[in-house]
Amino acid sequence: MTSANTGTEVGSFVSRFNLQQYVVYLGFLAIFLFFAFMLSDSGFLTVRNLSNIVLQTAPVTIMAIGLVFVMSAGEIDLSIGSIVAVSALAAAVTIASYGMAAGIVAGLGAGILIGLINGALVAYVRLPSFLVTLATMGLFAGVSRSMTDLRSISVTNGAFTGFFGSGSLLGVPSLIWWTVIAIAAGHLVYRETRFGAHVLATGDNARAASVSGISVPKIRLAVLTISGGLAGLAGLLYAGRLQAAKYTLGETDLMTVIAAVIVGGTLLNGGKGSIVGALVGSLMMGMLNNGLILMGLSVSDQMIVRGLIILTAVAVSLRDKSR
Amino acid sequence: MSAPILQLQDIRKNFGGITAIENFSLEVFPGEIVALVGDNGAGKSTLVKIISGVHTPSSGTIMIEGKPVTMSNATMGRAHGIEVVYQDLALADQQTVYMNMFLGREPLNRFGLLDRRRMIDETEKLVKELDVRIPSAHATIRDLSGGQRQGVAIARATHWASKLILLDEPTAALGVAETAKVEAIVQSLKQRNVGILIISHSLDQVFKLSDRICVLRRGKQIGVRETKKTDKNEIIAMITGLQQQ
Amino acid sequence: MRKAFGIMTVLASLFAAYAFAAEGVTTGPNGEKPVPAASLTLSAAQEQQIKDGKFTAALVWHEMSEYTNAVNAGARDEFKRLGIEVVAQTDAGFDAARQKADVETVMAKKPSIILSLPVDPATAASVYDPARQAGVKLGFVDNCPTGYKQGTDYVTIVSDDLFQMGNKAGIAMAEALGKKGKVGYIFHDADFYVTNQRDGAFKKTIEQDYPDMKIAAEAGMADPARSEDIAQAMITQHPDLDGIYVTWAEPALSVLSALRAAGNTHTKIVTLDLNEPAALDMVKGGNIAALVADEAYSIGVTLARASAGSLVGLKAEPFYAVDSIAVTKETVKDGWKKSLNKDVPATIADAMK
Repeated sequence: MTSANTGTEVGSFVSRFNLQQYVVYLGFLAIFLFFAFMLSDSGFLTVRNLSNIVLQTAPVTIMAIGLVFVMSAGEIDLSIGSIVAVSALAAAVTIASYGMAAGIVAGLGAGILIGLINGALVAYVRLPSFLVTLATMGLFAGVSRSMTDLRSISVTNGAFTGFFGSGSLLGVPSLIWWTVIAIAAGHLVYRETRFGAHVLATGDNARAASVSGISVPKIRLAVLTISGGLAGLAGLLYAGRLQAAKYTLGETDLMTVIAAVIVGGTLLNGGKGSIVGALVGSLMMGMLNNGLILMGLSVSDQMIVRGLIILTAVAVSLRDKSR
Repeated sequence: MSAPILQLQDIRKNFGGITAIENFSLEVFPGEIVALVGDNGAGKSTLVKIISGVHTPSSGTIMIEGKPVTMSNATMGRAHGIEVVYQDLALADQQTVYMNMFLGREPLNRFGLLDRRRMIDETEKLVKELDVRIPSAHATIRDLSGGQRQGVAIARATHWASKLILLDEPTAALGVAETAKVEAIVQSLKQRNVGILIISHSLDQVFKLSDRICVLRRGKQIGVRETKKTDKNEIIAMITGLQQQ
Repeated sequence: MRKAFGIMTVLASLFAAYAFAAEGVTTGPNGEKPVPAASLTLSAAQEQQIKDGKFTAALVWHEMSEYTNAVNAGARDEFKRLGIEVVAQTDAGFDAARQKADVETVMAKKPSIILSLPVDPATAASVYDPARQAGVKLGFVDNCPTGYKQGTDYVTIVSDDLFQMGNKAGIAMAEALGKKGKVGYIFHDADFYVTNQRDGAFKKTIEQDYPDMKIAAEAGMADPARSEDIAQAMITQHPDLDGIYVTWAEPALSVLSALRAAGNTHTKIVTLDLNEPAALDMVKGGNIAALVADEAYSIGVTLARASAGSLVGLKAEPFYAVDSIAVTKETVKDGWKKSLNKDVPATIADAMK
């Protein structure tokens, strides 16, 4: 029994450290060391700058968690950027009239509701998630524009802005708390619960999941609802951090989130993924933005270098997977 | 002889106006391997779906250990102790052996989280008993050979089946050596005192493994023979409907 | 209900711009009176003091376009002349959250100066606060964060002469049409004082100064991506328009392609900002009659100069405006040089031969 146990431990250690998961960590480390060396006198390594990276990427990280669930189930959610704006505006408008609690309910509720709509169309009307969320992305981009006629709405409720983005607890900024809690909870649900296992099985082989007694439609509904809810939370974090909401919030985040999730080792076709990998992927994107700016590159050069690095990271991580 | 573990009486299944199965009756006893043979389109896969609970018969009775049951989906079939090994395996390729073993029925620990330790231990115990040679319970399905995968699928069915295991073309995609390995595993299942119903195109395999052979033609049961008391010519004649010269 | 209210606000702000325009004077976002940009100079002593200071600057733009490029080039050239190193440059892609991140990021390099165009002035205070609190000299293009005080919180605002731009567009339209005819008016349907003032000035110029000209069709454009649809609808309903004013050059290209698709060669387009495809159509005798451009390069120079001066005690005026020029087929070469401080692109030079 003891010898069998040792064998198992070694086996689990080896399989957990497969090569493809190394890629994102090694890539992260390489980029970090590169910037640390190149920008040693440019403030890159200061606590302030490094914590800024975590703060700036918090909403993307939160959205990435949702997308890991969605992509692991073999679906995609393109509407997250639009959900961010709708949720942030819904929260901002509601806070102004009814206070913080109502604002949180409105913001998260809007995200969950849009997620439910996406999920119901995918799971029960059996439409492809790519098309459904492509449509709702446009639809809710329109809704966010019409909600306040393109105006930005200030959020002056100090408790709200403190809780969701500008404040800190025990000397640690609230956005870092949100990131840590969301990653821990997401990882636990994804790796250690039946639901997480069923999400993976659904994305891996929907028929196998179905004949094994897993309700595939319920899983699809659930992952898209989770993604909507987390995009809603990201909207609240943006509103708290900027102390304002505008229809442009989140608009440019979709590609960053997808890149973070894929670089983090989640398969585009489902069945395999990593929450911690998505966090590292997201931090890597933030670190790239930060480091390339601090290197003093022109904006166009920043975009070119960033694109090349993401391409390399994706190529390396995908190549290992299909070995 | 003990009581039959599965009894099908006068099963009939219509799809719209078309009759797929009629007047089908069969008994399977514990510790027995019954082979179901028939040409393409004879109704074998419809029967598999009826026995596994995916289809409800239009008329007739299914009895398990003498008690009539009605089933409307595969989950109910499983609840009655019936497990199916599908032709296309129904394994999740990116997941580990042990997660596949417990797919849809994962045990939880006292915190409500996946009890991986238990899944791994039980998987390792079972693959050892059945002599399914896989690198480890942690291996990913896609890294296994076809024979190893089928071994996992059979091990899964064995683990959960308390009454009946249904094997649908278990060696159709396998090479010679792997087929022999899977046949040995199937043979060893007899000791477990469950009923085994195997569907196969290979008469060699049927004669090697089964105790009785049930022939199906155009949705009707043509006859059941004891394997020892028949030969291939008779079975072929029954399958094709052509009389022996 | 909320929507109706929102439209009212937009209309109200348009009328407000209209009221300013009636004075015939551009005003800053807080009603500041404009001072000509050319009036800002540094003494030789001040310049030497700046060079000795070994200062640094960061450029935090709202987006990158030919216009921003010209402002950027002006700022970089002026900083170079004054021995100030540009340590970082960013592009927020019109996203306020990203602009906030950009400000935080460049702060790691401890710049002495940040030049920026706020994406969303109403909420920009939270974006620039980290820099303001650290004592960085802030210089703004066009707009400043609501609640900031000039002189203490920021150095100055430099902008185009907005009224002059709209006014020159009106005059250029009148010249192109022989001072009579029907005009279509495509304005920016958003609460943004830069475009609101320019659009209002155009409209007012046509209505007050040219009795034989009439604005026969109006369409608000909230989303530039939809400009082609708007143009399509306008020329379908009013095929007899003699000219169309478009609020800036990118959407004007959509109008141009809609006209081309309809086989329309008689309707003239006047728009704002220099843009290569638009200028090419103009020199080839197409629909585009005139492009009114601000001296974007000078905006960058002026802003850099004022901000650098503030490091050595120069008190800047609250609001500087640069001149604008109407560029036509005949003046395209000069105009390009004046506005963008660049030679006219080779394609256009070739087409003029």
